[in-house]
Amino acid sequence: MSSTQASTPLLSPQLLAQLERLELVSRKIFRGRLKGERRSKRKGQSVEFADFRNYVAGDDIRFIDWNMYARLDKLFLKLYLEEEDLHFYALIDTSTSMDFGDPTKLYYAKQLAAALGFIGLCRADRVKIEALGASRKNAAPALRGRASMWRMLDYLNAIQPGDNIPLAQGVKDFCLRNSGQGILVLITDLMDKNGYESALRYLLAQNIDVYVIHVLSQAEIEPDVTGDLRLVDCEDDDIAEITVSRPLLNRYKQTLATFIDGAREFCTRRGMSYLMTSTETPVEQLVSNYLRQRGLVQ
Amino acid sequence: MNFISALTPLQWALLAAVPPAIISLYFLKLKRHPVEVPSTYLWTRTIEDLHVNSIWQRLRQSLLLFLQLLVLLLAILACLRPGWRGTNLVGNRFIFMIDTSASMSATDVGPSRLEAARKHALGLVEQMESDHVAMIISFSDVPRIEQAFTNNRSALRQAVNKITQTNRQTDIREALRAASGLANPGRTSQAGTSDVQVADALPATMYIISDGGVPAVPDFAPGNLTARYVKIGTATPKNVGIVAFSTQRNPEKPGQLQAFARLENSGVENAGVDVVLYLDGALVDASSENVPTDAAQGVNFVLNDVESAILKLEVQYPDDMSLDNTAYATINTPRRARVLVVTPGNDALKFAITTEAVSRVADVAFAEPAVLETKEHETLAQANAYDLIVYDRCVPKVMPEANTLFIGRVPPAEGWSAEAPKPYPLIIDVDRLHPLMHLVELGSILIYESLPLKGPEGATSLIDADHGSLLMIAPRSGFEDVALAFELVGEYPEGDVNAKTNWQRRKSFPVFVMNAVRYLGGARASLDVTGSRPGQPVKLRTDAPAEQITVESPAGVRTKIQRESQNAFVFTRAEELGVYTVREGAEREAGQHFAINLFDSRESDLVPREVIELPYVEKKDQPAAGGGQGTGQTDDEENRVGVHASVAEPSRKEMWKLLLIVGLLVLVFEWYVYNRRVYL
Repeated sequence: MSSTQASTPLLSPQLLAQLERLELVSRKIFRGRLKGERRSKRKGQSVEFADFRNYVAGDDIRFIDWNMYARLDKLFLKLYLEEEDLHFYALIDTSTSMDFGDPTKLYYAKQLAAALGFIGLCRADRVKIEALGASRKNAAPALRGRASMWRMLDYLNAIQPGDNIPLAQGVKDFCLRNSGQGILVLITDLMDKNGYESALRYLLAQNIDVYVIHVLSQAEIEPDVTGDLRLVDCEDDDIAEITVSRPLLNRYKQTLATFIDGAREFCTRRGMSYLMTSTETPVEQLVSNYLRQRGLVQ
Repeated sequence: MNFISALTPLQWALLAAVPPAIISLYFLKLKRHPVEVPSTYLWTRTIEDLHVNSIWQRLRQSLLLFLQLLVLLLAILACLRPGWRGTNLVGNRFIFMIDTSASMSATDVGPSRLEAARKHALGLVEQMESDHVAMIISFSDVPRIEQAFTNNRSALRQAVNKITQTNRQTDIREALRAASGLANPGRTSQAGTSDVQVADALPATMYIISDGGVPAVPDFAPGNLTARYVKIGTATPKNVGIVAFSTQRNPEKPGQLQAFARLENSGVENAGVDVVLYLDGALVDASSENVPTDAAQGVNFVLNDVESAILKLEVQYPDDMSLDNTAYATINTPRRARVLVVTPGNDALKFAITTEAVSRVADVAFAEPAVLETKEHETLAQANAYDLIVYDRCVPKVMPEANTLFIGRVPPAEGWSAEAPKPYPLIIDVDRLHPLMHLVELGSILIYESLPLKGPEGATSLIDADHGSLLMIAPRSGFEDVALAFELVGEYPEGDVNAKTNWQRRKSFPVFVMNAVRYLGGARASLDVTGSRPGQPVKLRTDAPAEQITVESPAGVRTKIQRESQNAFVFTRAEELGVYTVREGAEREAGQHFAINLFDSRESDLVPREVIELPYVEKKDQPAAGGGQGTGQTDDEENRVGVHASVAEPSRKEMWKLLLIVGLLVLVFEWYVYNRRVYL
């Protein structure tokens, strides 16, 4: 990680101002633990009227519309839109492979997580940002309220690359610890030799709204290499010997495209949202354009 | 293609060590530059795909290695100095002599031998350096200087390209003389002084580019000329050619005509050929013949009731030379010879000249010597009214415009003389080759006395006796005079007239008379037996006096010819093979025909000769002109061999420069690939 990245705050004031206007949206009905600042799709207790229904025994008599009873001599129950909080999870891949690119994929992931987390905090959602495999060291705090922003940023800043646990293992750990519903944003480069599929399947089981944000550095999208090279995998020291030629590069790009298409299809088929982004795409643009289009924020 | 090593064994060993070194360096180089990447995941999959793909991918990966090895290979090849045989240009003056005779039209090499010769000559011209001068001579039976000495290579090339094929025979003598005249300038001798050289001798190298079908040249001194022979043609050509084709009337059956042909096979295998005879374009006869290799085969056909016709004989056999596969013969309407015999009385002569055979070909008139005095005879004699006048024991005042045969008298023409009669001459030698003496057997002939004849310049003695010539023939401005040195019948000193020889009692006498009528009287033989060779002048005579005739060549080109001094026309453009048509005066009808055929065994024999026999080559210790490109050994050899212009020494046209240039280009390409290899 470059020093500039270390000194630059993850969220600039302009970005913060921009993010304040946004909110996180889930496509699924779920129950939050505390009332939040959002109308839930569930009916519940709030000031906002939704509907009437017939009273059945056992209903809370506080919600009986007595005026109606006086007029019609029948018991009706007033239903209100429930206002509830949202559980927002951002899961960051901290494997060594994320420490590449300019800015590094990890930095980019942190920025993205911070932006989304900030949106959540502003809307009093429950925000939990976690690094994969972080449970072994220090569990991520669950945050709520704008005041927690600094704790969130501190936590993010403290995240260092090097947790080379398999993606599936990391996700599994996370799922075991967090059984709640909500939105999960998985920020990763999906570069796991064991495949990303099993990891994503764990998430499927959670009935959680999953967004997979696939971060790649420009060097991975358009490799700028020449000559006879021995490529060393930074995670497992695996070696690939190549002699760079145009057909090889073309073939690499084909492979990459196939890989991305495969991931997108896998996610789409299973109701997950997939978004591939390059570290060159500014986070503001990603959040305000692409994620908006995908319906994660509005 | 052959090679000359430019390196010593040690150097070769060092050079041989370079390719393994490059390969090992290449493998050492394979200690690839390590680069840390986020994941080899995609790369591994990419490489796997490529590995599955093909060997070509591996080759592509090793492209630089291959390019380097290619450069090295080219360098090694250049060190091997590959070259091919050409002819070394030795000296700085060259004479390129290119054979254009009929045999050079053979197609056993390239498009034709001439084309190959031309290519060779162009190759030699290419080798010339700026201070070299050369001359181009093409030769068949006559030489033709296509380009005089010049150092202008484009002029030389143009001259070489201008050379055309002829149908002529080969005679290198004139060409050699032309070449030698330039290398050995003439000397002049003045009375009382020794030879004076009029110009400096300029040594030159002469390249004879030919198939070697050249007659031996016995009387040629090359002097400063160094001859080199460049052989053109394959060793095993295939050719069956017609070397003779003639027609003759059957003496026993006057209406019948016999056509004889002779085929020669110069190929290496026996040839089964079909011989087809056409009469005026229509097929009349054919036969299948087997011509053994290197042998001849006769063919004959019999034709009935043919007065005048054009015969075409065709050999149907796919061979390397087509010129000699067709031959023509023409039969013209027989024209009778007009013969006048002026004799005081000679029964033997009269008897011999009025035979049936003679009467078939000639109208014979007899006259007394007194007629010679008459004006009428003189006019007739000068007006070409006779083809032959026989003067038996008499002489005219003025020689007539006709061929003459003088019996027992000396022609009153310039140059003729005789000594006093000598008794009992003894015949020593007879020229049997002359048509007059054809089949004339002169054994046991007794002659009473003879005049030892002396003829004018150009006279040929046909019968030699111990006292001198008995029969002489000499040309006289278009005619020929024959003098027989003894009388057949004459007056003895005793006064009685009687036979003075027993010849007229022999069979050979009427044969001689017949020959005389045919040869001297037959200005144009009714049967064109001899035929003419391409390029040679053809002498034509007309029946009626005409000022002009038109000759149409086989290709249809018409040439008008004016009469020469006598009633003779000389046609000099008989270059094409085939039948020429002669029209007399303004006549539209074809008057007569004559055929031009190749008929030359030497030309038909396509096997290129290994050696052209030139006489002893006078070798001087020439200064090593032109840098002496290693020719010393060959020169020695030539001195030793002496009489042969040996086959040209192998010269080398080397390509090492080209190889090095290609190598350099490959190196540049390799550099490019090395720098921008991503784009390959």
